[in-house]
Amino acid sequence: MPPKGSKKASAAAQTQTLVLDNGAYTLKAGLVSSASADPSYDDCTVIPNCIARSTRDKRTYVASELETCKDFGELAFRRPVERGFIVNWEAEKAIWENEFMGAGAGEGLRCDPKETNLLLTEKPNCPKELQKNCDEIVFEQFEFAAYYRCVGSTLNAYHPYGPDSLFSLPQECLLLIDTSYSDTTISPIYNGQLIQPAVRRLTVGGKLLTNYLKELSSLRHYNMMDETYLLNEAKEAVSFVAPSAQQFSRDLEWTWKGRLGDKRELDPSIVLDYVLPDYEQSIHGYARPHDPAKSRMRRGLQPVQGPKEDLLPLGNERFTVPELLFRPTDIGIQEVGLPAAIMESLSTLPEALKIGMLANVVVVGGNSLIPGFMERLESELRTLVPADYLLNIARAEDPIKHTWLGGARFASQRDRLKNVLVAKAEYDERGSGWLVRKFAGGG
Amino acid sequence: MPHVEVLPNSTSSVAPGWTYVVDTGYDPSKVAINPKNKKRVAAQPGGARGEHELSSRQQAAIARRIAELNRDNDPKQSIPVPGKTSTPKTQNARRIIQYQRQIKHWLDDEEAQLAQLQQAPQPRSATTASRIAAQPLRRSSTMISVPPTPSEATPGPAAATPISQRSHFEDDPLLSIERSMPPPLNPAELSALLTAPPLSYAASHVAPPPADGPPSRHFCDNCGYWGKIKCLKCGARVCGLECKDAHEATRCLKWA
Repeated sequence: MPPKGSKKASAAAQTQTLVLDNGAYTLKAGLVSSASADPSYDDCTVIPNCIARSTRDKRTYVASELETCKDFGELAFRRPVERGFIVNWEAEKAIWENEFMGAGAGEGLRCDPKETNLLLTEKPNCPKELQKNCDEIVFEQFEFAAYYRCVGSTLNAYHPYGPDSLFSLPQECLLLIDTSYSDTTISPIYNGQLIQPAVRRLTVGGKLLTNYLKELSSLRHYNMMDETYLLNEAKEAVSFVAPSAQQFSRDLEWTWKGRLGDKRELDPSIVLDYVLPDYEQSIHGYARPHDPAKSRMRRGLQPVQGPKEDLLPLGNERFTVPELLFRPTDIGIQEVGLPAAIMESLSTLPEALKIGMLANVVVVGGNSLIPGFMERLESELRTLVPADYLLNIARAEDPIKHTWLGGARFASQRDRLKNVLVAKAEYDERGSGWLVRKFAGGG
Repeated sequence: MPHVEVLPNSTSSVAPGWTYVVDTGYDPSKVAINPKNKKRVAAQPGGARGEHELSSRQQAAIARRIAELNRDNDPKQSIPVPGKTSTPKTQNARRIIQYQRQIKHWLDDEEAQLAQLQQAPQPRSATTASRIAAQPLRRSSTMISVPPTPSEATPGPAAATPISQRSHFEDDPLLSIERSMPPPLNPAELSALLTAPPLSYAASHVAPPPADGPPSRHFCDNCGYWGKIKCLKCGARVCGLECKDAHEATRCLKWA
């Protein structure tokens, strides 16, 4: 066995880096070697970050095994990441081992940690104790050769502006909005460095929206409190953000059933029937235009005709659910909406930086894919930004993988990576308390 | 009852058994005798709840609901890790892997540590302690105290391109961009921003909406339409009679 310090010299020699954006809902992972060409979205694999158990077929699915699942009914999930931070290492270890080290690992992802660097992302404002746990597991349990942990948002500063842009990286000013599963964070980034006191988070994330839809559907139609998977799928399929508060009121008016004795026609352009899967013929649900006769049948007011199917009518749920991102007070969350939250974050910055940030707003995260989200955010933000400021806001080309790609671009540049990596030998020498301070920027 | 008042500059004498107490009008000890005296509380100025204020029961219900919506894992159902798991390699790793704590325990720990730091009388290095202590009060910016030094300032990012080819328009005040330029970035201020420690998780949440902002919207508890009517029993909003019946049958907090 080689002496303990021998790794130190070879730490920088590891050419292969596992770039891992460890999200609460999905892992975004890929192996990047510093010799390879510019990485792309295709090099990234998206893996569910959960262990799921079905009470129906009595099977447990770890992470990517979920693809083989044929019955998502009453599927229960165990997620190692809570509020964006890795909390349960027992489950996370099982998932990492399954995806990166085990026999079942995908061909492009299998690696030997002892010969691999790890670039791991975290959410901002992570409690120090959890950071320490993470570092200890990475080095003591997995024994990665070298490791760098950073706030995922900052990696987005390493995307080139254009194919042959002359601007140097990292991008000087970047205001990154990450509206993800756990919450929505606003991070101003200067030269690739996070401006910590200006980071703000909004409680509303994809998880809360799914749970809210689950609650509303259970109250109004069937009990669906155990159907997280199904309602998440329905949310992704049908929800949209109303273009403005006025439009929201109008849509709400048009989806109202009316008073007793004064029933109204529902607006067919908004109200949908979501056909629920029966897990025999179909695994996935789908939406189709609302059929009033079908809902009368369901309530026993009309004889049942045609094939037997279960419908979930979705009216104002389609737009009141994502509306929470803009008006969290609608369900009593005492926080301002996303546009005002962005301005609150910027209010801590000097004027010149504020201008630079507003000209470079990038949105990542799954909620930004909800139709109408970007338009609403831009129009509401525009009303809050002084008129003579330039506002440039864009959604990343692939908002799910964008942070990963930034990390991959960072990792493919040998010099940058070498500066920040910490070798295992160094960790063994100085301990985890030192490492937490180092990654926090305190040397 | 005679009114006894201690003048501000008199030395208070503490005698066993009794003491002079400044009469400030509101006496918690008297309220504590009869805490359920709702009528009197409501009759007091400022005691009654406003139209849009919530009762403590409603507030508790909302807090519970948000916590429920924001929950990651159901503590009631435990899903064991399948298959044979490799053994932890060190004692430390074993300890971490065996933790059964949830995020709320970690966040509570963080808050408790911060509170402890704040309470502790200034330890040896005063600067770091005060920085950590000031952390939750994030709006008290660290930059205010830094005086602007325009002489050594660098141009701001928006003004990053130096205006080198200035033509004869330079003197025209109408074409001057000076006024629309932000004050240049102060390097001291910038480095203070970049080296500042992260906020705690709780402090990173955005502020509640301002009191003078638009009033919050109310929705029907049952169907999601505007909540125009307040349930007399629990104060939740409903849109009409039909939904009121449904509300009373299922969700009314009166019996919760």
